[in-house]
Amino acid sequence: MSDSVYMPLLDLACGAFLLAGVLVLWRRDLAAIVRLFALQGAALAALVIVLAAHEGSAGLAAAGVAVGGLRAGLLPHLMRRALVAGGEGQESRPLVNVATSLLVAAVLAMVAYDASQPLVRLTPTPATQAVPVALTVLLVGFFVLVTRRRALSQVVGFLLMDNAITATAFLTAGGVPLVVELGVSLDVLLAVLVLQVLTLRMRAAFGGTDLDELRELRD
Amino acid sequence: MTGLVGAVAQVVVVAVGSPLLVGLMRKIRARLEGRVGAGVLQTWRDLRKLCRKEAISPHGTGWVFRMAPLVLAGTALVVASVVPLVTTQSPMDGVADLFAVAALLALGSVALALGGLDTGTAFGGMGASREVTLLALVEPTILLSVFALSVRVGSTNLGEIVTAAVHDPMAVISPVSLLAAVALGVVTIAETGRIPVDNPSTHLELTMIHEAMVLEYAGPDLALIEWASGMRLFVLLGLLAGLFAPWGIATAGAGPVAVVLALVVLVFKVAVLGAGLAAGEVFMAKLRLFRIPELLAGSFMLALLAVAASYFLA
Amino acid sequence: MISPVLFPLLAACGYAVFGWRAATAWLGALAAAGQLGAAVTLAVATTGQPRTALSGLLRADALSAFMLIVIGVVALLAMLASPSYLAADLAARRTGPRATRRYGILTQAFVAAMALAVLAASLGVLWVAVEATTILTAFLVGSRRTRQAVEAAWKYVVICSVGIALALLGIVLTHYAASHAGLPPAGRLDWAVLARDAADLDPGVMRIAVALLVLGFGTKAGLAPMHAWLPDAYGQTPAPVSALMSGVLLSVAFYAILRVKVIADIALGPGFIRTLLLIAALASLAVSAALLLAQRDYIRMLAYSSIEHMGLVALGAAIGTRLAMAAVLLHVLGHGLGKSVLFLSSGHIQQAVGSSKISAVTGLASRAPLLAGAFGLGLLALLGMPPFSLFASEIGIARAGFTAGLGWAVAVALALTLVIGAGLLSGGRRMLLGPLPPGGTVPLAPPADGAIRLARSAAVPLVAGLLACAALGVAGGPLRHLLETAATMAGATP
Repeated sequence: MSDSVYMPLLDLACGAFLLAGVLVLWRRDLAAIVRLFALQGAALAALVIVLAAHEGSAGLAAAGVAVGGLRAGLLPHLMRRALVAGGEGQESRPLVNVATSLLVAAVLAMVAYDASQPLVRLTPTPATQAVPVALTVLLVGFFVLVTRRRALSQVVGFLLMDNAITATAFLTAGGVPLVVELGVSLDVLLAVLVLQVLTLRMRAAFGGTDLDELRELRD
Repeated sequence: MTGLVGAVAQVVVVAVGSPLLVGLMRKIRARLEGRVGAGVLQTWRDLRKLCRKEAISPHGTGWVFRMAPLVLAGTALVVASVVPLVTTQSPMDGVADLFAVAALLALGSVALALGGLDTGTAFGGMGASREVTLLALVEPTILLSVFALSVRVGSTNLGEIVTAAVHDPMAVISPVSLLAAVALGVVTIAETGRIPVDNPSTHLELTMIHEAMVLEYAGPDLALIEWASGMRLFVLLGLLAGLFAPWGIATAGAGPVAVVLALVVLVFKVAVLGAGLAAGEVFMAKLRLFRIPELLAGSFMLALLAVAASYFLA
Repeated sequence: MISPVLFPLLAACGYAVFGWRAATAWLGALAAAGQLGAAVTLAVATTGQPRTALSGLLRADALSAFMLIVIGVVALLAMLASPSYLAADLAARRTGPRATRRYGILTQAFVAAMALAVLAASLGVLWVAVEATTILTAFLVGSRRTRQAVEAAWKYVVICSVGIALALLGIVLTHYAASHAGLPPAGRLDWAVLARDAADLDPGVMRIAVALLVLGFGTKAGLAPMHAWLPDAYGQTPAPVSALMSGVLLSVAFYAILRVKVIADIALGPGFIRTLLLIAALASLAVSAALLLAQRDYIRMLAYSSIEHMGLVALGAAIGTRLAMAAVLLHVLGHGLGKSVLFLSSGHIQQAVGSSKISAVTGLASRAPLLAGAFGLGLLALLGMPPFSLFASEIGIARAGFTAGLGWAVAVALALTLVIGAGLLSGGRRMLLGPLPPGGTVPLAPPADGAIRLARSAAVPLVAGLLACAALGVAGGPLRHLLETAATMAGATP
């Protein structure tokens, strides 16, 4: 693939990846948040496939398809099922209101840009120059995790972080070794399943999934 | 020479065309809602009728109230003359700086807000406070999103940004452009008081922003305000089209034919955008007032991300 | 070499097929004994040269072998205690056959994952195994399904998964630095290859990577500031699992930090990771000191004591001399033994009294002398009293700290340890001594005199653990060579 096509496509995939991550902060509707997460998974898959086409690597392309299957297909499907079972459509009241959290996201983007300078400087290729995008999504994911009060939103926050780490892996060195990648994917899938079961138990024990209810254990 | 002609023609088109644009949008809305609606020229007729009326200012208002429409219309005209809608070779090009344009637009808004406050009525004050709240988020967003586009060009001169976009049309699909386009689109809607931020055709006290400020105006003053508001809408839509779809704008060395063509293209682009906006309004409900800052904070963040991305993905 | 992973896995299959019955109850202990045997064999075999297996996927050196011994010993204690613990739970109808079967499968898989973690040759596989322990223990933490249990399980999974995700980012960045340094694709995450070529790794990238790795694995190791999950989780977990989690899981996570430290010492110089570890160590000690002083819950008291000991271990690792590293490893083993005894005995106390409040337990010394003795001696062991091995290891860490010029840190740590000791002792005194409860107020005390019966099979692991800990303190001779080799492997500087 020539550079004149590769660069805009790579940038486009990164832009979609970033946008989907940030818009999660903006939406209150949990179904929309899950849709955005699926969109981000698709953008991540597209990103990997663009990288694969650039390097002409079939293995990388296969990894891209697998990433897409897991992150744009299976995980959103699981979350949608949990959502239907729960019948709670809205994020209640986030710890930090939406307008402020959007502004915080803007600050986080700056922090990520600053923190990733050593990474970009090591090999300034178009792919590594997009690493700040992935780190921004990582920080946004962490922020979602810390400030949102619904169980499902926290799961999405965790998965945003995981998407960001996967994106970093592919952007920096074309992915980690296969054994590790498989293990990581399996762990993530299982973690989501465990959290889903815990959500069900939480609903049985507390009558809802508002994490503010979790205040029995403290010192 | 063509530059001068183009610049003058641009001001004339904006001045004459903006009431027509408003009329067109009302007509489209009416049609989509199943009404016949007034003709496209109705806005001009309204303005003419208002101008014939006696100028009245409420008891107890001062010069701020009387000056506000003039400042608003004046700034709108200046902006209309400097932004590169038709040609980048305007003699005013040196003034067509991003910061100057944003500041001029803000000046108009602030003047109107002061005019609203000067009446001392509840509605005027409420509208002014709401308008300024929005302004605090809208202005930085405009600055940032155009700034994101200017990073690539290395200049904050709008003419140079548009020239660069004409020469490199592929750059328009980059994430920087897309993010900035969405951000600028949202603030254009907010700045011109359209749905979902404000409803231009209602006087419902709970929600109105722009209409609350101009409630006490009548006669020629009101005509001036309506006309200026139309011009701001026209200019912002034209700027949006010029930055993200710059085809047809006459650049350096273009002949008279190109200028005429650019005028036609400008009218076409603005009409299409206006029609789209009107059609969108039919299908959308107005946001609750306290959700509006969320929308604007979102667009601000998109603009900031656009700036960030213009450094990230250099 | 694969057998330490295989034995518990086979036992897990056994529980999956047959369930938890009288006949299979000892299967776990059997697997743990086999694992311990394999670990000792491996330790003898690897004191000279590291060995690899499964085409380089697994590698064992003295450090791995030592960690395997710790896992084996604590697993053996926990599995010996499990049958009587579950029998009491079954008798009180707090659990059922499905839950006990799941307990069997998950604990064995958990032990296998820990063994895999210390045997993995690649940092990536190590990460996968450590994250697997989180997932496997999640249902053990939440097994009671009460509100507190669900809350603890949720916090545990979320905080640990997020922390460990940061470690994954650190691994990704290490991989990036390694591929830029031209390491062969197969060796880019192999800690031995990374340690050999660490000088070529880009310091700018490695600085971020190491910070993330220490923060991430530090979460799992219960180091402040990411320790919040720990007291909640232990309070809601069956006692044998608490023993495993506190006794070894924390150390296994710390083992990952030790491997990272070897690489970081060469790539960045020893100063960087020393600073990180010192901060974590002193913060952990301070946190546990602050929360132990007025602790009203004896299981949480033990949990904060675990944070304290991980802080001491981190302090030793920060000092990093040969003496300090050997003391750190000895401390890990001693803490594993002592803390297992404490968690197991507190499990019995909780079963008898029905509460984990300190105020609910009084006069334990006269109601159940053996249990009280085990609990009291265990507390003394944790305080670092001779003859227990923690005395030797704490003295070792302190001496190494003064010689290495980190005397101020050691002095602060010792002061905090004194505060912690006071907190533990006052808690222990209230539980062991004090008046006998008047007959009617104790919710669960079948014998009329308020005595607590302890099954003989339940007493064996308590006594054995204390004896082993004391023996280790009096005569650590046989382990000396292994400890020194392992300390060298852990990057001890002379």
